[in-house]
Amino acid sequence: MAKIERAQKLFLASLKEKFQGQDIESENTSFYNFGGVRQSPRKREFMKASKAIEMDRGISMYDPERCHLGGIPMGQRQLMTYQVSQSGVYVEGDDLHFVNNAAMQQFWDDIRRTVIVGMDLAHATLQKRLGKEVTPETINEYLHILNHAMPGAAVVQEHMVETNPGLVDDCFVKVFTGDDELADDIEPQFLINVDKLFPEDQAEVLKKSVGKSMYQAIHIPSIVSRTCDGGTTSRWSAMQIGMSFIAAYRMCAGEAAVADLSFAAKHAGVVQMGSLLPARRARGPNEPGGIKFGLFSDIIQGNRKYPNDPARASLEVVGAGVMLFDQIWLGSYMSGGVGFTQYATAAYTDNILDEYTYYGMDYLKDKYGYDYTSPSPDAVIKPTQEIVNDLTTEVNLNAMEQYEQFPTLMEDHFGGSQRAGVMAAACGLTCSIGTGNSNAGLNGWYLSMLMHKEGWSRLGFFGYDLQDQCGSANSLSVRPDEGLIGELRGPNYPNYAMNVGHQGEYAAIVGGAHYGRGDAFCYSPLVSITFADPSLKFDFSEPRREFAKGAIREFMPAGERSLITPVR
Amino acid sequence: MAYTPQYGPGTSVVAENRRRQMNPDVQLEKIRDVTDEDIVLILGHRAPGSAYPTAHPPLAEQQEPDCPIRKLVKPTEGAKAGDRVRYIQFADSMFNAPSQPYQRTYAEMYRFRAIDPGTLSGRQIVECRERDLEQYSKLLLETEMFDPALDSCRGATVHGHSLRLAEDGMMFDALQRCVLGDDGIVKYVKNQIGEPLDRAVSVGKPMDEGWLKAHSTIFHSLVGTSYRDDSEYIEYVQRIHSLRTKYGFMPKEE
Repeated sequence: MAKIERAQKLFLASLKEKFQGQDIESENTSFYNFGGVRQSPRKREFMKASKAIEMDRGISMYDPERCHLGGIPMGQRQLMTYQVSQSGVYVEGDDLHFVNNAAMQQFWDDIRRTVIVGMDLAHATLQKRLGKEVTPETINEYLHILNHAMPGAAVVQEHMVETNPGLVDDCFVKVFTGDDELADDIEPQFLINVDKLFPEDQAEVLKKSVGKSMYQAIHIPSIVSRTCDGGTTSRWSAMQIGMSFIAAYRMCAGEAAVADLSFAAKHAGVVQMGSLLPARRARGPNEPGGIKFGLFSDIIQGNRKYPNDPARASLEVVGAGVMLFDQIWLGSYMSGGVGFTQYATAAYTDNILDEYTYYGMDYLKDKYGYDYTSPSPDAVIKPTQEIVNDLTTEVNLNAMEQYEQFPTLMEDHFGGSQRAGVMAAACGLTCSIGTGNSNAGLNGWYLSMLMHKEGWSRLGFFGYDLQDQCGSANSLSVRPDEGLIGELRGPNYPNYAMNVGHQGEYAAIVGGAHYGRGDAFCYSPLVSITFADPSLKFDFSEPRREFAKGAIREFMPAGERSLITPVR
Repeated sequence: MAYTPQYGPGTSVVAENRRRQMNPDVQLEKIRDVTDEDIVLILGHRAPGSAYPTAHPPLAEQQEPDCPIRKLVKPTEGAKAGDRVRYIQFADSMFNAPSQPYQRTYAEMYRFRAIDPGTLSGRQIVECRERDLEQYSKLLLETEMFDPALDSCRGATVHGHSLRLAEDGMMFDALQRCVLGDDGIVKYVKNQIGEPLDRAVSVGKPMDEGWLKAHSTIFHSLVGTSYRDDSEYIEYVQRIHSLRTKYGFMPKEE
């Protein structure tokens, strides 16, 4: 380890904005004179809204000046704003709660309502079993019918109820293939064009991985998956696929071959975004707990947009990951709480994790000659224990020293769990990007935790005792039930299933290993291509920017019900 | 072979202070007097002078089962009497408070019996039988493990450990349970859970910067000792991590 100079501290602008008129390096400040919750425009807005609701319904509601601490409202210190990292947008903390942020809701909607279904099995059934001709023309006709049916319209039956297109306008199906000739014959409106969306080298690898197969990227209506659950997605899509095949290929609705098409659409040809969870977690497929970290890193498209900045690409995964896994999955699905936002946002606000991570990039270049702006399999460093220890020690010490040198930075990340997650993430990302090995990244994470705990005699909440003080022993294990390579781990991996401030970062560490090598995908080329589609409501290449848009109320989500509700 | 605790690595003053607090053979320096009644007031579990509420009859009055473990383990006075289990919880400023969460847990495990500590980033709780707790609390409040400005007893709404200090040098407390008086003495005006006290309880003057730096158990590059400078400590952590990685939880040298 050896400290390196880094003149540009990315968090300084945020600190100066947040603590205006104050010396951000001072150890002292004034408290108890901010006017409590009324210092925050958003809290004032909430109080006003609550008053109107109370008048309307006659039941008391939000009353922070009476209910908080028996009459001592929060805001005895400064209630800070936050910059969503690398967006330049400052928001109130409340605006980053998923309930208050339409972009965050849509992000999860767009994942939960997606399945990928292969077409090869269905085409084989049509051709070999039924002797029907499958051509680009028939495929285009099928896709036209499917885009009619998938949102909830009838194609075969008489006298059917249907869904209002204005409520399901986010529902569509496109296809992709590695076969350029076939792709050329598909109507552009139905094609995810890999060549156009990805950098040339990534497109080549992706197309080669997909080969001559063709896949449907299916997004059922947000309103359906919200009303039902993630397990609905494959069922809804399979039903419409079956009906559309019947219509497009003039099949008999009851003939036995339809069962083959259904089986392919529901089971054999389906790629779910999340796997089924065990009974004690009680969730179906396509729910957050079943999303493997490698697959999640393919959902996030930072690597497509920033192929020569694996740090930036990884940080986008962090932001998206902590929002989904901490704020939504652990925070609400699993715990039923509302407070997890405060943990999670630390990793994607005020450019703090960004600064620590880029310090790691500079250190990689300075000491090991790894230039993160030119990622390739040949550039990464061999992952030895000594190198993981060295990278982590330096990045972790630097992060601790930044918190110490800037007391307002420590005040920004006022909880130990926030700091622990952020410091370990910077260490893990440095190790995974620099070595191209996700398990080396996870190993760096755990050394960071031990160093943090010993240096400051504290870590996070109780859960960190479980997960982070035993993680050294399982981060390089691939024995069943004790370990997996990072790509195959997920939120339900033993020990990972309960702790906020970890899972999004782990996903990024996994992604970073591939971004550092310049890989085109981490786990599944199919997923990587599917979420590159610009027709999706949410732009997965810039999740943090999208969350910022949601925070300032500039993000238009899908699945709104205003068409069928009284005008307000 | 008899086990000889080493209490931790490091060549810095922080490392040495940590070992001192942990080692029960070291007599911790008594800095201030806090009366038994004042301890009871700060804890806020019972009124001074009132009987200890019990969770069960005294052990002597119970029909104890024939259990080899019970024969081996001598009960504490609180356990003998059947006291309920209560707590003291501290918040410790990162600006050189003399004790810190894990440090408290380690020291308490070496120095006290029959305790259940819990360690977080902003607070550390120790639970035990009530009369044992009052005895332990006295040590925790009267000795070099405590500073009136930078350590404080907080049952809930604990936050303050990582914030800047107030202009008078006190750690932030949303409930302002203790205040620095014009006489330079810190007084608790609320008990640790935040209920107002009938009378203020004095816990003495804040220690000065020099003393705090010399007695700190946290590394801090701005106000104290830099972690980076204690290379023995860092190498020790790296070694533990490497051995755990290679050999699971039974580390031994190759």
